Amino acid sequence: MSDVLDSLAGARAPRPGPLSAVLEAELDKLAPVKTRRPARQLATLAGISLVYGAGLVAMFTVRRDLDQLPMPWLLAAGLAWLLGFVIPCYLALVPRPGAVTPRWRWAAASAIVASIAFVVLGLVVHPTVPGVSKTLGWEHLARGHTCLELGVLGALVPVIVGALFLRGALPVGSRWVAAALGAGGGCLGGLVLHLHCPITDAPHVGLIHGGVVLVSALLSAAFVPRATEP
Amino acid sequence: MERYCDGDARAFRELYAAVAPRLLGYLMKMAKSRALADDLLQQTFLKVHRARAAYVRGADPVPWIYAIAHRTFIDEFRKKQRAVVQVAGDEVPEVAAGITGDADGVRDEPPDPELTKAALEALEDLPTGQREAVVLTKLDGKSVAEAAEIAGTTVGAMKVRAHRGYEALRKLLGARKPQEARRE
Repeated sequence: MSDVLDSLAGARAPRPGPLSAVLEAELDKLAPVKTRRPARQLATLAGISLVYGAGLVAMFTVRRDLDQLPMPWLLAAGLAWLLGFVIPCYLALVPRPGAVTPRWRWAAASAIVASIAFVVLGLVVHPTVPGVSKTLGWEHLARGHTCLELGVLGALVPVIVGALFLRGALPVGSRWVAAALGAGGGCLGGLVLHLHCPITDAPHVGLIHGGVVLVSALLSAAFVPRATEP
Repeated sequence: MERYCDGDARAFRELYAAVAPRLLGYLMKMAKSRALADDLLQQTFLKVHRARAAYVRGADPVPWIYAIAHRTFIDEFRKKQRAVVQVAGDEVPEVAAGITGDADGVRDEPPDPELTKAALEALEDLPTGQREAVVLTKLDGKSVAEAAEIAGTTVGAMKVRAHRGYEALRKLLGARKPQEARRE
C-alpha cells in the first residue's frame, strides 16, 4: 500500500498549461500594490473604532448612575469589554509570523468565548444604585431592544473596517474570522452600552448587553465572508 | 511574491512556474479531470492575482495559494456536483505517464503502472474530504498541520480524515486485486 502511495507521491508533477488570456491581460497592466500590514491594520481598526465608540457615547449621553456605581466594577467591566474588543480583532487580523491567513481557529474560539462570557458575566454581576439605576426585569426584557440596536450599531464600524482590511485574504475560515470581528465589534458596542445604559437588572445586562456580542458575531458571520474570500 | 506585488510580472511567472505543477497535481487528484484541474488552476492564480494586496510581506505564500486552490475546487465541486466530469480512460495514463522514475522522478525503480492506475481510480472513489487528506498528507508531503490549514479544518479532523482515507484506499485496492486476478 505504501509502495503505491510512494509511487504516486514520487510521480513527476504534471506540466501546467500556459496562463489564461484573462491572466495575461491582467499581467500586461500589472501595477504595484500595497500589501497588507496586519499590525498597522489592527492599530487603525482599534483607533477608528474607539473614536467611533466615544462618539456614540457622547451622542447618546453617559448613564446617570455612573458616578455612584462601584468604581472597581466599573473599571473591571470596562476593561473586560475593551479586551473583548481587542483580542478577537487581533486574532481576526494578525496571522502568525510567516503566514498570510489569520489564526481563524483562535479567532473562532475567541468569538465563542466572548459570546458566552459576556452573557454569563452580565447575568451574574450587575451592581445597581437604588433609586437611580433602572430595572426592567424579565417581563419587560423586550423593551431593551433599543440597547441591542445601539450595541449592534457600535459593532458596525469595526466589522466594516475589518472586512475591508481582509478583502481577499481568507480562502478558508472566513466565517469564523468574520464571527470574531463581529464579536469584537459587539464588545465595543457592549462598552458603549456599559457607559450609556442605566438599566441594571440581570436579564437586561446579561441577555441584551451581553447578547450584543452574540448577535453581532452571527450577523458578521452571515454577511462578511463574501467580502473576505478571494 | 514580494517582487510580484511590487509590479514585477516576471516574478509572477517565476511563482507560477514554481507552484503551478504541484498545485496542478493536487487539483488533478481532487478534480478527477485534467481539463477541470487546468481550469481550476487558472482560476486559482487569477484569484491570487486579484487578492495579492492581501499578501503579508515575509510570509510563505504557498499554503495561502493552496488554500485558495482548495476553496476554488470546493466551490466548483458544489456548483457542479452532479456534473463533475468522470475520469475518462485516456486521462489516467496522462498522470501515470509522469511516473517514470527517470530524471527528476523520486523512485529508482519504475512503479507498476497497473497498480498506479488502480490507486488513482481508488483515490477517486474516496469521499472528497478523505481524498484531499490523503492527497495532501500522503502524496503532496504536507504535514498534518499544513494540510489542516489549507483545507480550513482542525489538525485532529485532518488526522482522522487522512487515517480513514488511507484505510478506505487500502480496502479499495485490496478489493480490486482479486478482481484483476480473476480477469487474468
